[in-house]
Amino acid sequence: MSTTPVVRFTETTKRFGELTALDRLTLDVHEGEIVGLLGPNGAGKTTTLRTLLGLMQPTSGHARIMGVDAWREPVEAHRHLAYIPGDVTVWPELTGGQILDLLGATSGGYDEAYREELTERFNFDPRKKGRSYSKGNRQKVAIIAALMTRAPFLAMDEPTSGLDPLMEATFQDCLREAKARGQTILLSSHILSEVEAVCDRVAVLRQGVLVEHGTLADLRHLHATTVEATYSGQPPRLDDVAGVEDVVIANGSIRLQVQGSTDPLLKALATAEVHTLSMREPTLEELFHAYYDESTELPAGAGA
Amino acid sequence: MTIPTTTTTRPTDPPGAAASTGDGRTDRTPPSPVRVWLRLYRHHLRLLRGAAIAWITGLTVVSVGVVATYEDRYATPEELALFAEMEGIPAFEAMLGRFVQLTTVEGATLSRWGMFSILAAVWGMLAGARLLRRAEERGHLELLRAGVVGPRGLTLSAIAALFTTHLCFAVAVGVSHTAAGMDTATSWALGGAAALLTATFALGGALASQLVASYRRAVGLVGSVMGVLLGLRLLAAASVTPEWVWWTTPFGWVGYLHPSDEAWATVFAAFSVLVLLLLLVVVALSQRDLTAGWLGGATDEPSRSPRPVRGHTDLATRLTAAGARTWGAIIGIVTLAFGLLSRDFSEAVADLPTMVEMGNQLGWYDIDTPEGIVAFTFALVALLLAVFAAGQAAAIREEEASWRIEHLLVRPLGRVRWLVTRIATAAIAVVLLALLGAAMVSIGSAVVGSPIAVVDALVAAVNIIPVAWLSLGIGIAVLGLAPRLTAPLTYGLVLAAYLLDFVGGLLELPEWALELSPFRQLAAVPAQSIEPLPLLVMIGVGVVAAAIGTTVFRRRDLQEA
Repeated sequence: MSTTPVVRFTETTKRFGELTALDRLTLDVHEGEIVGLLGPNGAGKTTTLRTLLGLMQPTSGHARIMGVDAWREPVEAHRHLAYIPGDVTVWPELTGGQILDLLGATSGGYDEAYREELTERFNFDPRKKGRSYSKGNRQKVAIIAALMTRAPFLAMDEPTSGLDPLMEATFQDCLREAKARGQTILLSSHILSEVEAVCDRVAVLRQGVLVEHGTLADLRHLHATTVEATYSGQPPRLDDVAGVEDVVIANGSIRLQVQGSTDPLLKALATAEVHTLSMREPTLEELFHAYYDESTELPAGAGA
Repeated sequence: MTIPTTTTTRPTDPPGAAASTGDGRTDRTPPSPVRVWLRLYRHHLRLLRGAAIAWITGLTVVSVGVVATYEDRYATPEELALFAEMEGIPAFEAMLGRFVQLTTVEGATLSRWGMFSILAAVWGMLAGARLLRRAEERGHLELLRAGVVGPRGLTLSAIAALFTTHLCFAVAVGVSHTAAGMDTATSWALGGAAALLTATFALGGALASQLVASYRRAVGLVGSVMGVLLGLRLLAAASVTPEWVWWTTPFGWVGYLHPSDEAWATVFAAFSVLVLLLLLVVVALSQRDLTAGWLGGATDEPSRSPRPVRGHTDLATRLTAAGARTWGAIIGIVTLAFGLLSRDFSEAVADLPTMVEMGNQLGWYDIDTPEGIVAFTFALVALLLAVFAAGQAAAIREEEASWRIEHLLVRPLGRVRWLVTRIATAAIAVVLLALLGAAMVSIGSAVVGSPIAVVDALVAAVNIIPVAWLSLGIGIAVLGLAPRLTAPLTYGLVLAAYLLDFVGGLLELPEWALELSPFRQLAAVPAQSIEPLPLLVMIGVGVVAAAIGTTVFRRRDLQEA
């Protein structure tokens, strides 16, 4: 693995007047990784990508692609990437095929056979004029245009918005194939199943601040595990067990949350006659809600 | 828990908003369609407001300028009598429309509306097509049509908003001309007729928007019809043509405005056409799907083997050519017509010293010679080219505002290279359009045996190129510095510069003020010799402005609409 990360944000901040859209983001994406950028609407995902791509200038800090600052040297930085915008607009008078020709030519080349294959897999009709494409079809133009270049780095901003579930599945297959070929992907999304299915790591943005990042396993470990058990006889004593909270005991069943190691809990449960026991890590959706709940304070030092 | 049953609404709730019942449910009582219709009407009016104010102000100021300077211009009975001799001369009427009672301030002012009415028609056409087709093309109408007001109500609310701007136009013309000293009845008749003509072409734009499936095609369709109607006016002016031919074109009706003439007939004809167009709009609307046009306008028909787009230069060429084709047609028709009329017109003017004198005051030198007529023609083409160039700057901004530019700028293509390519193709298009004008005026002149050398026409064309390049350069500077103002500011500056030159002469403004207009700097080639210095200054300023705009564009964030 190369020592230079494919993407490096260093204290990247972007302000629009009084509004801080991105607040001291520091994040690396390494070669061959798929990193999911999660966040609700207005969290700063699109600003993050546009700043990375040099379409917007960081107010402070840096954003680099393979060591190149895309704001200062856009042409050099863009040699290594392809991009799928979230809200695709196309030239109304050009056909889909002409748009793919254009984007392929300006990319400095593309795999023609792969373009044909993608056109077929995404069931895309390139003969129609841009103005007649639905949102999903416009999205397909951008997806095919990006993937057909086989660029080492793919930046994607909610790439599947407007796609039907079959096409979403096709898209996820393409991402896996890209990863297998060694391509690096930064995927902004709020479709949790998509992120869960394809991403190696997740970065969670809220109000422009990176509130958490790591593998899904890391994130789950940072959060409480849900434990459910049934028992007979006397209930186990759980008052002083480390990490245990939200205990509900009723009618021979126990439900609780445990933070950190489960060893003290298991020892406490062993004192009772336990019949069934299940432990479930939080789903990404539960993590998502935990991070995005507006009533929750941003973690101290987040974004720093 | 007791569930409250009282329905509460706040006084500030918008019409159409569902009332809260206080328990999280909403009262789905349908809002009053009338109130929703009124909101849609206000929405459309807001969309039209900016352009309407600019057009109304521009046209009214120019026309009032004619009234205000009338007495000074024709101070003696001899001057007035000479001016009045223009009446009935086919060459004049072909270009300017029917003349009636030129010895009065009313007649003199109405004679100018032969030209002004073309501008009013362009405004009407663009506003109608923009409100009804471009909004649909961009998906805005889909949202509105999902409401409680049906497609017909929605379209009628847009048309009502269009008519409101035309009513304001009528009032502005009526009040301003009365205040400037024109007869009250004629002032209001003029206001009414100008508004009716604008409304006619606005409904033309609305009708074309029902027939074809794109804004560009709608404008092209109405523009073509407008060309035919102007052609009919040319025909009507021919001495062998019967009088009724004037009535076949709205551009002919304006000539019948004088109260002592047949103003009532103009109003009747205009109203009849308006009602007919309105009916056609409603019928066509009910016969088509959303986003489609009535004339087989299915927008998703596959294209047969389109030519590949080979890169950003190819794209820039295509996008520029799309706009240049329409302008090429306009410039081609105008220059051909003036070429055909150059001999008759100059011979007619030769007998009218007042006209020659007036031409000299306006910077139209030697219009009693074919060379002078060609120079006058290219003064007009200079305005058209400058507007085209401003339109190119606006089109470049549109690429950014729509974020289509994003597709290209995330590829190994620098912003400067992309922008310079767009500027270069627009600059080349300006040259080609000017040369087209030279070719057409030469052809027209050759057909009627007018002694215009091809070289003279070419030099006249070259003479006006710098003013268009200056317009383009300033447009690029605005694109860099204040992108959201690119279209209004660039078009506004071009119009202001032209008005300063055109009306400034009539208003006898000080020479230094007139000299501020780039149009004033153009020598009347080929009647006069070309003057390189002002042209080089214009090119220099244009290049510097474009360089500033490009540099700032490179250093700023992309900005959406």
